[in-house]
Amino acid sequence: MKHLKPLNNKAQILEQAVAQDRVEEVVAMSAVAGCTATTDPGWEVDAFGGVSSLCQPMEADLYGCSDPCWWPAQVPDMMSTYQDWNAQATNSQEDWRNLGTVFPKDK
Amino acid sequence: MKAGVFATLALTVATSASSLGAWAANSSETALKAGHEYMIVTNYPNNLHVIDLADDEVYKSCKLPDAFGPGTAMMAPDNRTAYVLNNHFGDLYGIDLDTCKSVFHANLSNVPGELARSMFSFAISPDGKEVYATVNPTQQLNDHYVVKPPRLEVFRAADGLAAKPVRSFPMPRQVYLMRAADDGSLFVAGPDIYKMDVNTGKYEVALPLRNWKRPGFSAPDVLYFWPHQTAQHDFSMLYTVSRFTDDKQDPATAEPMYGYLSIDLKTGKTSNQEFASLTELYFTGLRSPKDPNQMYGVLNRLARYDIKERKLIKAANLEHTYYCVAFNKSGSKLYLAGTFNDIAVFDPQSLEKVKNIKLPGGDMSISTTQVFIR
Repeated sequence: MKHLKPLNNKAQILEQAVAQDRVEEVVAMSAVAGCTATTDPGWEVDAFGGVSSLCQPMEADLYGCSDPCWWPAQVPDMMSTYQDWNAQATNSQEDWRNLGTVFPKDK
Repeated sequence: MKAGVFATLALTVATSASSLGAWAANSSETALKAGHEYMIVTNYPNNLHVIDLADDEVYKSCKLPDAFGPGTAMMAPDNRTAYVLNNHFGDLYGIDLDTCKSVFHANLSNVPGELARSMFSFAISPDGKEVYATVNPTQQLNDHYVVKPPRLEVFRAADGLAAKPVRSFPMPRQVYLMRAADDGSLFVAGPDIYKMDVNTGKYEVALPLRNWKRPGFSAPDVLYFWPHQTAQHDFSMLYTVSRFTDDKQDPATAEPMYGYLSIDLKTGKTSNQEFASLTELYFTGLRSPKDPNQMYGVLNRLARYDIKERKLIKAANLEHTYYCVAFNKSGSKLYLAGTFNDIAVFDPQSLEKVKNIKLPGGDMSISTTQVFIR
């Protein structure tokens, strides 16, 4: 944790767990990818603080992110929750207009 | 408006007809030719394409069962069966490329109440008799989920379409790519690279990553979803790392670098080496089969490096982002794939584009191309 700063509630709880020597109890949902607490910056900015290393065009990266639930805040999680999100848009370059927004179902 | 509707209908019919034409190539009579070099790749909606590398044209297309995602494919040692992780990371399939028929299927959620996913994490034994998968199970209860420890499931290829694990062992957390070495041991990428005995489940660290002790270097960061079966027969991945200027380990003055790690699957020997300053991102990188001192990385550009000199030799601009790079066996051609539905063929020497191979169907997304000789 030397070079990391917690920015949101989850990260702060994780830091507390480290301080209490309880980090082994913090278990993310899946594996190295897949709805985990990824610290990648996202689609807005690349690893260098610019935009030139963002995928071009953004559609090229669309299913690479939705398939493995990489950034579930930006694109729907197609691994588990919204598996048919792109059923009408299997070719993202041509069919992207068929992609819609998704909303959690009522419990 | 009616004319428009009819035009659309006509187009749909025409498209369907041409799609049917493509599916006609599904038939068993288009078997692969012995001694011929091919490449496989998957794409949406759920296709497995075989490309003939003599003319770089689609040779045949197989329709896969169930749903797409991630479509990660690896060739079995028989150079006839392709194993594909699919159905939203939940199932493993074996496809006979000669007939397009499924010859193996394992639902990775084989424990009642559990939903299991494999994060690109499967491998085939060197004799082709066993298939390995690391599964990450979640037990779904009425009011909450329980994250279960990951485990290695060992399947027998001969068990066919209803394969169940014949052995199961605890695995480290956060495991993804795996490859079996020629002596049968399983190399597993996770926080470190582990070497596992698939008969006893015992594993050891073969190459420390998160826990490496390299004075002056940070721990490396590895993001790699593409299990290339390379001409060198190695298990290779890129990593990024910071080289610090002094013991203060100040990220502000550190030099971010690219390196590659490699496990020789013939000998089990591991190695890692930095080859470039980190100035742009590459999702994959492979060494040339012609000259292993040259590294080719790709994302928004195709870049060629001299590894020993740590020098960029040349870079080419691309029409769009590609995720993964592959060579033919001789190293005379380079293929860029992933993301959309075209594969770009490049001359690795000049970095000039030779052609695009347009695939029937939609995006390749995070699929991996594999080159093999039937």
